[in-house]
Amino acid sequence: MKSADTFRIALRGILSNKTRSFLTMLGIVIGVGSVVLMTSLGASVRGLILGQVSSLGADTMVIFPSTVEGGGGVPRVGFDSLTFDDVTAISQLSTVRTVSPVVFIPGDATYGSQKSQPQVIGTTENFFINQSVTAKVGRLIDAQDDQGARAVALLGPDTAKDLFGDGNPVGQRIKVKNSSFLVVGVANPLGAQFFQNADQRIYVPLSVAKEITGQKYVNYMTLSAATDSDLALADLTAFLRQRHKIDNPGNDPKKDDFVVHTSKQAEDILGSVSLSLTLFLSLIAAISLVVGGIGIMNIMLVAVTERTREIGLRKAVGARGKDILQQFLIESTLLTLIGGFVGIASGVSFALIIALIAKKFLATYVFAVSFGAIALAIGVAASVGLIFGIYPARRAARLRPIEALRFE
Amino acid sequence: MTTTPLLEARKLCKSYFNGEVETPVLFDVNLQINSGEFVAIMGPSGSGKSTLMHILGFLDTPTTGAYFFKGKPTENLDDDALARIRALSVSFVFQSFNLLPRTTVFENVMLPLLYHPSIHEREREKLVKHAIELVGLSDRSSYLSNQLSGGQQQRVAIARSLVTEPEVIFADEPTGNLDSQSGVAVMATLQELHRLGHTIILVTHERTTAEFAQRIIHILDGRIDSDIRNNKQKSAAQVHSLK
Repeated sequence: MKSADTFRIALRGILSNKTRSFLTMLGIVIGVGSVVLMTSLGASVRGLILGQVSSLGADTMVIFPSTVEGGGGVPRVGFDSLTFDDVTAISQLSTVRTVSPVVFIPGDATYGSQKSQPQVIGTTENFFINQSVTAKVGRLIDAQDDQGARAVALLGPDTAKDLFGDGNPVGQRIKVKNSSFLVVGVANPLGAQFFQNADQRIYVPLSVAKEITGQKYVNYMTLSAATDSDLALADLTAFLRQRHKIDNPGNDPKKDDFVVHTSKQAEDILGSVSLSLTLFLSLIAAISLVVGGIGIMNIMLVAVTERTREIGLRKAVGARGKDILQQFLIESTLLTLIGGFVGIASGVSFALIIALIAKKFLATYVFAVSFGAIALAIGVAASVGLIFGIYPARRAARLRPIEALRFE
Repeated sequence: MTTTPLLEARKLCKSYFNGEVETPVLFDVNLQINSGEFVAIMGPSGSGKSTLMHILGFLDTPTTGAYFFKGKPTENLDDDALARIRALSVSFVFQSFNLLPRTTVFENVMLPLLYHPSIHEREREKLVKHAIELVGLSDRSSYLSNQLSGGQQQRVAIARSLVTEPEVIFADEPTGNLDSQSGVAVMATLQELHRLGHTIILVTHERTTAEFAQRIIHILDGRIDSDIRNNKQKSAAQVHSLK
C-alpha cells in the first residue's frame, strides 16, 4: 500500500469525527502550548535578569559592608565595616585596576518647585570607568572637582527629566539636603542594575558627600579587576580578611564583615535560578503532554473498536496486518502533530501577548522564543502519537478478518 | 486429459473452540470446483456453509484436512501470504454489503486496489469506472454509499468484488438483506459476470436463489449431502423482466 493512500485514509479517519478529534487534540495542544509558553517566558525572564547584571561590565566587582553578627554574608549598605583606608589599601593590589568608594547622601533633590527622589552618590571619577558612565550633555565629575570639594553634580537622565523636563540642566543649580549644586552634565542612560533604576541618580564629588554626611565609612565600593574576576575575588577576600583580622579558613561567608560580588557570579546565580524555574515549569507542562497522550490512546482504542468491521473488510480485500498498523499509527501521529502545531502557535501567541504587556512595565523585557523548545515540542508530540498509538494500532492489526467482519 | 481444479478440499474439518469446549462445524468435506463454474452452496442456517466459504476464501483456516488452491497446498501460508491471495485471487460479496459509510461509490469500489500489489495508481480510475459500469451504476459513482438503496449498495459491493479481476468471487447470502426484486437483479448481475468468465461461489439458504447457479451443493450438519448439476438453471434477467 502506498504511503499517500495510508495518509489519506488516516486524515479521513480524523476528519470523519471532527469534534472528537478536536477534543482529543486539545490535550496535546495544551501540553505543547504550555511547554512552548513556559520556555519562552523563561528565556525572556532570563534575558531580563541577566540584563540587570551585564550592564555592569564583565570584570566589574562590588564590595559591600556586612555584619558578622547574625546576618553575615548579606550586603548592608548602612554598615560601617569598610573604611576609606580599606579603599586605599585595595587600590594598591595588583589584581585591581581601579576602585571607587561610594557615600550616599540621603534626601530628595529639588529645582524650584520640581522634585525628584534620586539616589545621590558621592564618588570619584573611577566609578564612571567601572560602571561605563558617559556624559550625554556637559561633562563628568573629575579629579579636580573632588580635590577642590566643588559642589557640582552630574544627573542621571531620569533625574534630569524629573527636574528639568526637556530643558537643558547644565549650568542650573539644584538643591540636595539644603546644599546647592551646580549641574555640570547629564549621563547617558544605563538601564536597570540589580532591579534598581541606575538612571535615577545624582553623582557628586566624594569629598563633598563626606563633608555633608560626615561619614567615616563607605556604603560600598566598585572595582574593576585587572585580572580574571575569580582570581581577583580570591585575592580581595584574602586581603580583606587579613586586614580585618578575620580567621576564616572554611570560607564561611557568615564570618566575613564584607561581601564581594562579581558580575560573573551574579550572572551565574541568576542564570541558574531562572533556568531551574524554567525547567520546573516545563516539567509540569510536560506532564500534561503525557496526560494528552493517554487521551490519544484511549480515543484510538475506541476508534479501533468502532471500526472493527472496517478493519475486517480491509483485510478481506487484501490488507495485511502491516497496512492496518500503519493506518492507525499515522492517524494517531497526525492527530498529535496537528495538535502540536496548534499548541506551538497558541504558546507563541500567548508569549507575545505577555511580552507586549510586560514591555509597558519593564522596558528591557524582550520577547524570546526558544526554537530548540519548538523543535523538541514537535518531536515530543510526534512521539506521543507514535508511542500511545502503538497499542491500539497493534490491536487493530492483529484482528482476524472473519472475527472482525462478524463484530457487531 | 485432467485439468487441475481451481479449488480442492480434501477431508476438510473445522471446529470452533470455546475454552475447553469443542464445537465441530465441518466434517470431512471433499470438494472440487473448476475455473468458470457458478456454484451454489446451499443449506439451512448452522449447516456450516458459511464456514466452508470462509475457508475456501482464505478468511479462515481449516482445523484439519487439506485445501489446495490452483493445485498448490495452502496450509503453510502465513498471514501476509493469505492477505496477498485475498488481494489478488479472491473477493467477497457479503450479506450486509459492508460498504464504508460516508464514502462515495467510487472510493468504495477502489478500496481493494489500495491493497493490490501490482495495479498502478494510474490504472485505478479506469478499472473502477469499468466495474461500476458493469453493475449499471455509472450515474451513481459520486453518491455516498448510504444514499443508495439496498439493491444498489449490493451492486456496489459486487463492483468492488470484481475490480481486481479475481479468479473467484464468493457471495455470502448476497440477496439476504434485499427485497425479492432487488435480489433477482443482483443475481442477474452475478449471472452476467459468470457469462463473462468469472468463477462464482454463492452461499445461500434459499432454493430459489440457488437455482440461478449451474451446480448446487447441499450441506447438512457439516457434511456434503448432495452435489448436483442444476438442469433447471433459471435466468435471473428473465425472472426480473417478468416481475
